[in-house]
Amino acid sequence: MIEQIVFYMLAAVIILSALGVVLLPGVMHSALCLGLCLAGVAGVFASLGSDFIFAAQILVYVSGIAVLILFVVLLAGSASDLVTRQINEQWLPSLLICAAFIWSFLRIPAYFSGITAKSDPAPTVRALAGALLGDYAVPFELISIVLLASMTGAVLFARRKAE
Amino acid sequence: MTLSHYLALSGVLFTIGLFGVLTRRNIIGILMSIELLLNAANINFVAFNRFLYPGQHLGQLSVIFVITLAAAEVVVGLALVMAIYKNLKSAYVEDYNILKG
Amino acid sequence: MLEYVFILPLLSFAVAGVILAFGKWLPGRGASAGIAVAAWGFAQAAILFTKAIQGKLALPYEVSIPWFSVGSTQATLGVYVDGLTIAMLVVVTAVSLLVQIYSIGYMRGDPRFKRYYAYLSLFTASMLGLTISDNMLVFFMCWELVGVCSYLLIGFWFEKPSAAYAGKKAFITTKLGDLGFLVGLLSLFYCTGTFRISEILELAHIGFIPPAAAGAAAILLFLGAVGKSAQFPLLIWLPDAMEGPSPVSALIHAATMVAAGVYMVARLYAVYALSPVALDTVAWTGAITALTAASMALVCFDLKRVLAFSTVSQLGYMMLGLGAGGFTAGMFHLTTHAYFKALLFLAAGSVIHAVHTNDMREMGGLKNKMPVTYITFLLGALALVGIPPFAGFFSKDAVLAAALARNPYLYAVGAVAAAMTAFYMARALVMTFHGEPKDMKKYDHAHESPPVMTGPLILLAAASVVSGWALSRHEIFERLVNFEGVLPFELHHVSHGAVALYAGTVAVLSMGLGAWLYKSKPGIPAMLRGKFAPVAGLLDRRYGLDAFFLKFVALGDRLSSVLFIFDLNFLDAIAIDGWAWLTEKLSRIQRWFDDNVVDAAVDATGTVTLCAGRLARLAQTGIVQNYLLFIAVAVSVFAALAFAG
Repeated sequence: MIEQIVFYMLAAVIILSALGVVLLPGVMHSALCLGLCLAGVAGVFASLGSDFIFAAQILVYVSGIAVLILFVVLLAGSASDLVTRQINEQWLPSLLICAAFIWSFLRIPAYFSGITAKSDPAPTVRALAGALLGDYAVPFELISIVLLASMTGAVLFARRKAE
Repeated sequence: MTLSHYLALSGVLFTIGLFGVLTRRNIIGILMSIELLLNAANINFVAFNRFLYPGQHLGQLSVIFVITLAAAEVVVGLALVMAIYKNLKSAYVEDYNILKG
Repeated sequence: MLEYVFILPLLSFAVAGVILAFGKWLPGRGASAGIAVAAWGFAQAAILFTKAIQGKLALPYEVSIPWFSVGSTQATLGVYVDGLTIAMLVVVTAVSLLVQIYSIGYMRGDPRFKRYYAYLSLFTASMLGLTISDNMLVFFMCWELVGVCSYLLIGFWFEKPSAAYAGKKAFITTKLGDLGFLVGLLSLFYCTGTFRISEILELAHIGFIPPAAAGAAAILLFLGAVGKSAQFPLLIWLPDAMEGPSPVSALIHAATMVAAGVYMVARLYAVYALSPVALDTVAWTGAITALTAASMALVCFDLKRVLAFSTVSQLGYMMLGLGAGGFTAGMFHLTTHAYFKALLFLAAGSVIHAVHTNDMREMGGLKNKMPVTYITFLLGALALVGIPPFAGFFSKDAVLAAALARNPYLYAVGAVAAAMTAFYMARALVMTFHGEPKDMKKYDHAHESPPVMTGPLILLAAASVVSGWALSRHEIFERLVNFEGVLPFELHHVSHGAVALYAGTVAVLSMGLGAWLYKSKPGIPAMLRGKFAPVAGLLDRRYGLDAFFLKFVALGDRLSSVLFIFDLNFLDAIAIDGWAWLTEKLSRIQRWFDDNVVDAAVDATGTVTLCAGRLARLAQTGIVQNYLLFIAVAVSVFAALAFAG
């Protein structure tokens, strides 16, 4: 019962804040909504028993990415954004397409109906650590290289050109 | 709670994100919508892992990689946004039309 | 030693090219190179000759390499050397060497000096190639090459229309004979299946070739010799060939090239020997030639032409000797004649060089001015006439002996010609060197030639004097050139004594008569000439042979004008122009097709692509979200298909 209440509350938070991200005219508001949405997703992770992912979501997304976006909004935004139309002219076809998507997405659960968790969630940190540093060591290292490269690239792009 | 609930939540979140990507004029808004898409996918990963393959961790590992890549994407994307904004003095994608044929 | 014989023609050939290309920078403008090679060649030939007469060489020597093959027939390039070859080699190299030395003086200051020496070397190369070739194909090739050189050198002063004309005449006339030569060569090949001389001789010797076929082939081949050696009736070109420089006349038109026909007959003598008819043809052609040419020389006033007629006449003697079965005699006469006739021509050249005229009526008394030339000319004349013990006496004597053994009539003709020879030589000698100078200006201008010219004269005079006696001693020459089984019949060894006595007597008497007439009673010949004007005219006109051949040529000319009209009105008008018209129309149709179908198709492709591009361009809005929308539409379509299915 509590589980269901938590789920629906989280779902409501996620969907509403996601709509806020997409629909609110102010980019600043959108960014704040994004933070809320990501926190909601973190809650979903927690409810699914993925403790490490929950922590990573909070650490990386909510406190990293969302804050980064906020910074950029502060740098690149302007007061005129609030009075400018934030939605483009292809919203109607997009809406139809999205309707088609949601129609097909909502048919997917029918294939998995009635599946419930067989066991209680258990701590996963140790197992993930073993996997990351064991079988998946190579992808783990590769992803670190990707991070390094993207960081270097970001620095290069953002740097003021010496003109 | 069943798997279906999580899949439905993920589908709704993805569609909202897709709509945002298709309709937001502001490029930062588009980036944020993309984050929504990624999170929808992440919910799916974790949900499938939880309900279909309990005791295994491949889905959660994937989520870790996705989060990492999302971080990288956001970093590069925002750097690009800053660079473009410096040059074009605009955050609206209609102004980025030099690909026009 | 023998292994290196093949280098002789190749070296000469190479040096011809070198002179032509680099003569300007060579010492003596190329003369030195030509002379050096000729001297080396003569040295080689002399060594070969010495060794051969000492019997130190294994003859015949033959070596060949494959050249090309057609079907089962293998053509070879090779060398065939026997006594005959060596005798000819000595003649060619010796005369070539002396003539080239002589030419330094004679051609001094000529603007085309370099080219002259290149031609001489080329000629020597061809002649040597002809001499040592082991197969008839290469022989024919060289045969034609010497013809080309002859053409080039007769027309060497081609600014003179008469020289250019003479060159053409010589070339075309000899070509007439070469046609027969080619046919004969092919029929010989048909009979024997080979071009190799040694095999042909072998087959002829064992009687493999049917006599009739051998005779036919031999007579056809002899046609080539008739052209090349200026035999009756193709003798008309040789007198005109005197338009060339005198040394050329000496080398080509007295000593070597014209002797090539004789050499060819001797080379294939085994084939000729199979057919008495062929031998008779050769003999009678030779006899008639000897007589007619000698008679023409009687009335001629051009010094060089007298010698040319004399050459023709002597070539007739050689043929007579060969045809009569006197193989050795013919070749012997060839050898000695080469020396004394070269000598006479060079001496005549020396005279002409001094007085700048060929006409004997403008000379006279030159013996005081040009003692060396006079003495050498005199020795040459004596040798030619056959006064013992000069060279001509031995060789002509042998020819006449052979003729007597074969047929008394042949002998008679030969003897009359010999008497004429003595007479016209006496006439030429007296008119040129004795008596009073006719043209004082020319006489005063005359001078003895430089040593570079008189040197060869003296050497040749020595050869003319001794060669007959030396070579006939102990039958040296006979043993050299006579190879086993060349003759089908035993040569009758006529006692030379009677013939020799007669020939010597006639020569002395006739020469004395001629000398007396022209020296003491110059009126009598003129009177005779007036009295027998028709005869003299006939002789001057060379028995109408020239006119005959001109008619012949005119006939060809008329034939070709008919052909020309046919060509113009039928072939050109209908066949060729018609074809052109048809082709043009066809190409117009093709062009229309090309413009309206092929090009149109190509253009349509372009247009369609362009329009499609314009249409597709509309999709390229440059707004990224549009693209994304397209992707989303596509995905939703696929999704719809997936779920609907």
